[in-house]
Amino acid sequence: MAVKTSQFYKKVWLKLKRSALMDVTKFLVVVAVIMWVLARGTQQLGYNWQWYQVPKYIFQFQDGQFSFGPLMFGLAMTFRITAWGLVLSMTIGLVTALLRLSDSFFARIVARGYVELIRNTPLLVQIFFLYFVLAPIFGLSRFFAGVLALSLFEGAYASEIFRAGIVSIHKGQWEASHSLGLNTFDTYRCIILPQAIRRILPPLTSQAISLIKDSALVSTIAVYDLTMEGRAVIAETFLTFEIWFTVAFMYLMITIILSIVVNFLENRFRIQT
Amino acid sequence: MQEKKLGDYIVTVEKINKTFPNGVCALREFSTRIRRREVVVIIGPSGSGKSTFLRCLNGLEEIDSGSIVIDGIPLDENKKNRWEIRKEVGMVFQSFNLFPHKTVLANITLAPRLVRKKSNDEAAEMAMDLLRKVNIPEKAESYPSQLSGGQQQRVAIARALAMHPKVMMFDEATSALDPEMIGEVLDVMKNLAEEGMTMIVVTHEMGFAREVSDRVVFMEDGYIVEEGTAEHFFTNPQKERTKLFLSQIL
Repeated sequence: MAVKTSQFYKKVWLKLKRSALMDVTKFLVVVAVIMWVLARGTQQLGYNWQWYQVPKYIFQFQDGQFSFGPLMFGLAMTFRITAWGLVLSMTIGLVTALLRLSDSFFARIVARGYVELIRNTPLLVQIFFLYFVLAPIFGLSRFFAGVLALSLFEGAYASEIFRAGIVSIHKGQWEASHSLGLNTFDTYRCIILPQAIRRILPPLTSQAISLIKDSALVSTIAVYDLTMEGRAVIAETFLTFEIWFTVAFMYLMITIILSIVVNFLENRFRIQT
Repeated sequence: MQEKKLGDYIVTVEKINKTFPNGVCALREFSTRIRRREVVVIIGPSGSGKSTFLRCLNGLEEIDSGSIVIDGIPLDENKKNRWEIRKEVGMVFQSFNLFPHKTVLANITLAPRLVRKKSNDEAAEMAMDLLRKVNIPEKAESYPSQLSGGQQQRVAIARALAMHPKVMMFDEATSALDPEMIGEVLDVMKNLAEEGMTMIVVTHEMGFAREVSDRVVFMEDGYIVEEGTAEHFFTNPQKERTKLFLSQIL
């Protein structure tokens, strides 16, 4: 009898362990612990929290009129930079990877040189170089100089991801495609890249998230992105922590949206088995 | 099998040499000619250059010297010729090499649409005909990973046939298959031979060689050691090396 009851409890415990309720409880406990640590930390800081001040920098109602605050404009700008940056850096990354894998010695050298140069110098320096040295020559706008520097930087990393993905495809796929008479372009387009993309989506997502966060650096050439707007608000109000936390949370929103989109893509592209 | 009429020479290979970058010499002064509708079976120990020979014929490997002419088109520096030859020569691999992200139907229709510029409907219709021919029309919408090895190889054959090649090459097409599935693939190959397809078959299936082939070529170290009809090989091989090899695999 005693054995039976202990078995029964074990069963119940196992079921509980696997249940969603248990997961939620664990999650809440972790959140509670983090909140407590934060609360203790900020108390000791002796900082005068004024969260009530923050909303008006996001949006406000005045005379029944709804309007966005400066942080939302910054967010929109960061969105624009990110969107352009993603398209450009992925294109640069793919083209560079293809050049590195091409038969042409010259193309390989150029691609290799670009990747090494960009990866081994700081992004900040690249942004300054592009904005102060190259932009006046080519007549680039502030915005485009920033986007271009960011794309060149992230593109170098993306190219290595693309290259790894492409060479990971079994050479039998190339041979089958070539023996059917498909040329190199069609082989890449229809056979190699569709398979490679599926494999590199996770690291590519990490790269995209890096791009979003690194986009904060364009604020150094006075592009009014989220970081720049945040800094401007802080200069005005001295709400240092409130604004920075809000800004960080807004970045988090962008990256989470990105993750959801990628998740959706991953499910769509999954090879059926 | 009743006597079939062989045609003129469709493949002419003269004194080709191939040495791999690692120093392994796969083909030495290798020459042969193959007629239309002929079925040539190539046998030999591993590393004898059988697969390399097939791969040279459609330009997957480049030859160091010598000449290859297929249906009047020389396989040379001219890239256009190489693509032309690849259209005319179908190849079936030991490891199938189906495109895993595409359905069976899409695997088959891809090259006809892109290379032969066929319309979607036309290509799909032809693909279904081919799938019926290899006895798996019901798998058209499946993905390769959902098929057995034998089914995958039959799809690979259908895929190669969809380009209407003038020559079909089989590189140990049944070596990676479970014993039970070898038969279904060999049957497809036999039917193909009976329809008059020119075939070059690298295989260890001696039954197939005996039943279907017009000529058997025994290779070692990049040379042709001995060649003749299957009958000749199984009843009266001349060279010691051939006898030894046959005694080991039969």
